[in-house]
Amino acid sequence: MEKKNVKVIDARNMEPPEPFVLTMEALDQIGPDESLLLLLTREPHPLYRALEVNGFTYKTERTPEGVVEITIWHKA
Amino acid sequence: MQALLSFDRAPPFGAPLRFFLTAPAFAVLAGLLLLWSGPDLFASRWTPEALALTHLLTAGFMLQTMLGALFQLLPVVAGANMVRPLFVARLVHVALTVGTLALVAGFLTYEPLAFRFAVLFLGAGATLFIAAAGHALHGIPATSPTIRGLRLALIGLAVTVAFGLLLAASLGWSLALPLAQLTDIHLGWGFVAWGCALLAAVGYVVVPMFQLTPSYPGWFGKHFARFVLGVAAVWTVADLAGWTLPSAVLSAAVVLCAAAFAVVTLSIQWRSKRAKLDPTQVYWRVAMFSALAACALWLAASAIPALAGWQGWPLLFAALLLLGGFMSVIVGMLYKIVPFLVWLHLQNLGRGRVLAPNMKKVLAETHMRKQMYAHFAAVVLFLGAVVWPQGLAYPAGAALVLANGWLVRNLLAALGVYRRHLVQIAAVLDVPLAGAL
Repeated sequence: MEKKNVKVIDARNMEPPEPFVLTMEALDQIGPDESLLLLLTREPHPLYRALEVNGFTYKTERTPEGVVEITIWHKA
Repeated sequence: MQALLSFDRAPPFGAPLRFFLTAPAFAVLAGLLLLWSGPDLFASRWTPEALALTHLLTAGFMLQTMLGALFQLLPVVAGANMVRPLFVARLVHVALTVGTLALVAGFLTYEPLAFRFAVLFLGAGATLFIAAAGHALHGIPATSPTIRGLRLALIGLAVTVAFGLLLAASLGWSLALPLAQLTDIHLGWGFVAWGCALLAAVGYVVVPMFQLTPSYPGWFGKHFARFVLGVAAVWTVADLAGWTLPSAVLSAAVVLCAAAFAVVTLSIQWRSKRAKLDPTQVYWRVAMFSALAACALWLAASAIPALAGWQGWPLLFAALLLLGGFMSVIVGMLYKIVPFLVWLHLQNLGRGRVLAPNMKKVLAETHMRKQMYAHFAAVVLFLGAVVWPQGLAYPAGAALVLANGWLVRNLLAALGVYRRHLVQIAAVLDVPLAGAL
């Protein structure tokens, strides 16, 4: 998976449901060769289910500083 | 986009909502009781009116909201799905409401039949809830401090209810039991091993999420609930066995557990990334300071005989812990939970074609803030009334009615937004939504 990141959403200082709403809005705009990077302080389990339902796939990594980085793109 | 949250796990809105809307009505009744009884209520912690008022706030306000929140939180934060949650919620809600009213009637009349009804309904409601929640949590791996905390808090609830039922039964069937001793055990378990343990378990999730704070320290989440329950259990055994000194030391340890939770919460709140505190944060902060003041008063009364001899100190302690502590934190959380649930259910029902309203528009901050000031005024007046009942008992009662009437109004306003959007969704999607609430 080597996609071009088109947008980064830094939602670390946002209160629910804002990160969810912004992510779903941004995903409406991304193309098949693009991806979205979401930064959070915790794993967004509800978002994962929404992504699966809506035909997206994702990869989650946690940085040593505790930032949760979720890369999201269209399922092949 | 068909935006779905964890709807497969969220219970119907009606399951938690019925508890959230009933709770403030009990607090209004508490205010009316104070207006009816006047200064006499404050003569001692054992007056019928003081006992009735305490249970309107604990079984009526606190327990209703705590169980309502658990119907929502168990599946969403722990993945613990109850069987037929709406059906169970309806039964528990009715049993709890009738049982609390019977208990309050019992205290005010000392009619044994009222206590027997209270035992029957509160016993049935609590047993059903504990069984349903315990069944839902059974087999769920304890992967987070919240799941561990919820499990242990349920044990705390079971013990609190067991001692409460024993006390009510002794009044209903004239059993010869050491009422004062059992009352203190009931109180210790209710406030700390159930109330504080549950608040901590829920706080691990909601404080960082909604108040933009760092997480609770790992060591705290790992050990707090276990330590609290362990200390409470050993204290109970020591107290029932009549070991005076160990019992005194252990009861102080139980109080210090609650104080530790307040200190840790304040320390992470201090590092919140939010520039301006919203009503929920102010409510939490005041609650933690009030709880700390209650703990300090309890420790002072244990050490200073002159203070211990004053009839008013247990009432002051209860007012700081119940009104200033638990009620504040609960109302603060309702102001996040209810708008969030309105948003969540509308988002789901709109199926991506009708957008849910912004959470800030579901319940305006100005309304929350005004209600919050009314609540704080009620707390201050009630504390003052303990010291000067003749002058402040009636204003305190009126303030309690006003603050909680206002809370009902605010919650109904949020529900109004939900209902208006439902109509819009039904029109756009051309589907009946009669069963949505």
